[in-house]
Amino acid sequence: MITPLDLITAFLGIIAIGIAVVPFIPERRVPQALAAFGSLAAIVIMWASGETLFAGHTFHAWLWTVPGLGRMSLAMDRIGALFVFITGLIYLPVSIFSAGYIPRYTGRYSLKAFSAWYLALFASIVFIPVCGDILSLLVVWEVMSITSYLLVVYEHREERNARAGWLMLVMSEAGTLAMVIALLILAAHGGSLDFAGIRTGIAGLRSGTRWAVFLLSFFGFGVKAGLFPLNIWLPRAHPVAPGNISALLSGVILNLGIYGIVRVNMDLLPITSVGPGLVVLIVGAITALVGILYATVENDLKTMLAHSSIENMGIVTTALGAGLVFLAAGHATLAAIAFVAAFYHMINHSVYKGLLFLGASTVDMMTGTRSMDRLGGLIHRMPWTALAFLVGAMSISALPPFNGFASEWLTLQSILRSVELSSIGVKVAFALAGAMLALTAALAVTAFVKAFAMTFLGHARSELANNAKRATKTLIVPMLILASLCLTLGVTPTYVIPTLDRAFATYTHASATDALVPPFFLATKTNLHGLPADFVHDFSDLGAQSGKNFLPGRGLVVMHRGGEANPVVYAMSPAYTFIVLLLLLGLATGGVWLFAARRRRVVRRAEWDGGVRRLTPSMTYTASGFSQPVRVIFQSVFHPAVEEESRRATAGHFRLAIRRVHRDVYLPERLVFHPLTRLAQWIAACCARMQNGKLNTYAGYVFIVLIIVIIVGIVIW
Amino acid sequence: MSQWVFAGLKAGIVTTPYPRREDHAHGITPGRPRGGVVASPEEIASHCPVGALAATGEGITVDRGRCIHCPACRADIPWEETYEWATVPPEAKEAEVERPFRRSLHVLVVDAGDCGACLSEVGQLNNPYYNMHRLGFFITPTPRKADLLLLVGPMTEHMKLAVEKAYAAMPTPKRVMAVGTCAASGGIFGSSFVAGHGANEVGSVDVVVPGCPPPPLAILHGLLLVAGRAQEVVER
Repeated sequence: MITPLDLITAFLGIIAIGIAVVPFIPERRVPQALAAFGSLAAIVIMWASGETLFAGHTFHAWLWTVPGLGRMSLAMDRIGALFVFITGLIYLPVSIFSAGYIPRYTGRYSLKAFSAWYLALFASIVFIPVCGDILSLLVVWEVMSITSYLLVVYEHREERNARAGWLMLVMSEAGTLAMVIALLILAAHGGSLDFAGIRTGIAGLRSGTRWAVFLLSFFGFGVKAGLFPLNIWLPRAHPVAPGNISALLSGVILNLGIYGIVRVNMDLLPITSVGPGLVVLIVGAITALVGILYATVENDLKTMLAHSSIENMGIVTTALGAGLVFLAAGHATLAAIAFVAAFYHMINHSVYKGLLFLGASTVDMMTGTRSMDRLGGLIHRMPWTALAFLVGAMSISALPPFNGFASEWLTLQSILRSVELSSIGVKVAFALAGAMLALTAALAVTAFVKAFAMTFLGHARSELANNAKRATKTLIVPMLILASLCLTLGVTPTYVIPTLDRAFATYTHASATDALVPPFFLATKTNLHGLPADFVHDFSDLGAQSGKNFLPGRGLVVMHRGGEANPVVYAMSPAYTFIVLLLLLGLATGGVWLFAARRRRVVRRAEWDGGVRRLTPSMTYTASGFSQPVRVIFQSVFHPAVEEESRRATAGHFRLAIRRVHRDVYLPERLVFHPLTRLAQWIAACCARMQNGKLNTYAGYVFIVLIIVIIVGIVIW
Repeated sequence: MSQWVFAGLKAGIVTTPYPRREDHAHGITPGRPRGGVVASPEEIASHCPVGALAATGEGITVDRGRCIHCPACRADIPWEETYEWATVPPEAKEAEVERPFRRSLHVLVVDAGDCGACLSEVGQLNNPYYNMHRLGFFITPTPRKADLLLLVGPMTEHMKLAVEKAYAAMPTPKRVMAVGTCAASGGIFGSSFVAGHGANEVGSVDVVVPGCPPPPLAILHGLLLVAGRAQEVVER
């Protein structure tokens, strides 16, 4: 019997061997070695976490003792296993992708260094959710921060990259500082650095301290999760990072922020009042809206995806906040549903954003540009990449049958359940958050119609796009793996929900499975399994029980049941929707083929160009033009600084040339960081006045300090 | 808002009774010369500024493709106050078999160098009086959805390519309608160094609506003819 602990040891062994072996391999073999070690380690760690996540084999292991600080330990519960599992799930395709991607750096940067950091990052990410005490958490957290910084600035000879990496590191360390303070408060009150010790010793904390721990941890981990306004590093780090690292940054590292918030505020010090949940909810909703607004108007493919990651983290955080409020208000089942929605969305985001980043990197690699205004028409040159990117775009736009739909629908539904809450103020906050999420969902469609259409459809708008090379299999296969995951996660919510639900049952003490997935497979007209009789009758007439002979599980319908007056609050079934979609699609295609296609001749003509003599690619619709309406409507958010320059003819009646430059300053920078910078500079300027260069003044300062020291000395002794 | 509703209700239906009944409203058509037996046909024909009149023995015939119904011959030969002017050219008559647009017809209007008069009359079809939507006729901005290419103007050199592209971009089945004297024959601008001799420069024309400009009801008649819902009025 192999235990998860053995598997984790094996995982660590593979990583260690990988890091040790890579320096001695010839440079041209390094990509394959990286892929082999990375994917093997990913498979092992998925197995290990799967043992805990699906079969419930949790473990706790003591490591060595650090003098004066206590013993370090490893502990894997279902929550931690969930995060580790997602990490493995994303690392597997990304590692294969890396084999095809990193050879582009051959000769310019060291592939060996890349591989070593890559594997070290993998190990540190995996161990963060497995840490059983504060000390080891801090150590691996810092390893993760630093290796991810090193990988982001891998192309370090460009000044832009160095600046972006620097900002990322500074923000990350500021977050760590807040997080350390929060954890130390917990340790001081719990009397132990060990999580188990904190859990037992923490009872009876004053509400002020609770708020302090919540705010500090929310701020500290929020930096990693990319929450407003601490996300200024994200849109800068992504475009400069190598493509596979971007996929990890969005698909895996952002999740760690969520993990931290959950670990501290649900596990170590469970939130008991409604207030913190509301803060999480509102911050999440603002993050989502701001993220998607900038994603819609951004023309750089990878920056756009970075903004979209912020948006998705906002959605996850909103659902998390809703769950915390429900839990504090005593609606445990609703809380369980909201948590399921949050983590379902987080998994989905990891999968489709990994996919989209791999797609964007492939485009970048094959064309040499990421600007949507210069791309276009790539569907002819890279059809498989286009297909995978389309699946990702449809998933993130929440279109059924893909995975974004299931989780975003659940998130919105759980926010609508705020009618169960009693306080009017909280209801208003939920309504606002719901409205913002709805707007976000709509804008996400706009943003990804733009991203896909401007990149893959239409004309090639530049020579770069026109000369795009075909993507190799090493790049395409990982994308197709992730694309099929998008579909699988989309049509099987009835299997995902119970798994997630079990992970949270310890905190909510309620089951979302019973509330969301009725056992239609098991219920018959004679044995109702707790369902109302007319329900079973209605649904078996509709065919909800079909598939019970060849499918495991409870059913394929997600349904939230209310009371007597309102038996079905909401219901959906992506699985049946998918089947019906396939049937309709097949019928329509077959019908067209049978009745029309064979009788009619297909005539292909050039596209309608308005009758111009020659349609040049620069005349076609651009990405900037597509998002201009959004830019105009939300001008008060973007608040661009417009510089206009025009040359006029002598008489001044005619303008010969106009040049207009829009310069956007990112909203959090404008609202938070620029005022802070100005304040710091103002303080510095005040202090600089002391330093006037006159010897007499400095002698005076020495004298004043001396007197103060003497007075203090006299007073104390 | 409420006033707008009541004003509309008070005004009642203002739309023309055509094509159910004839429309006899004042000024509905400018009228046009009919020709026939007249005294001194040669002299009258020589007064026509566009050379549309021709003497045949003791009578006079009108070349519909050239007539701009100016009043130069109004005192000399009989005129008719009709508007059902649309005709199907002989070459199109032979080719014509089916009428696939009986209920709905989407029209792409292309201005091939017209003076603005024909286009203005086409625009009138959208107003409440002529209201072509009630008959299932719609203007569309893209050839991809168009069934009928409505051409106005004498087909200038620069618009030839655009018209050819637009026609090629339309899905079959498709029709072409020439509206106005210019589109029918080149008109008073026609066959010069910039302009051709009408819509048949780029392909076969299925329906011709002569007139300079043809009144909206004549264009409507042309559309009904394309749809197969009206008959050509045969001149004696």
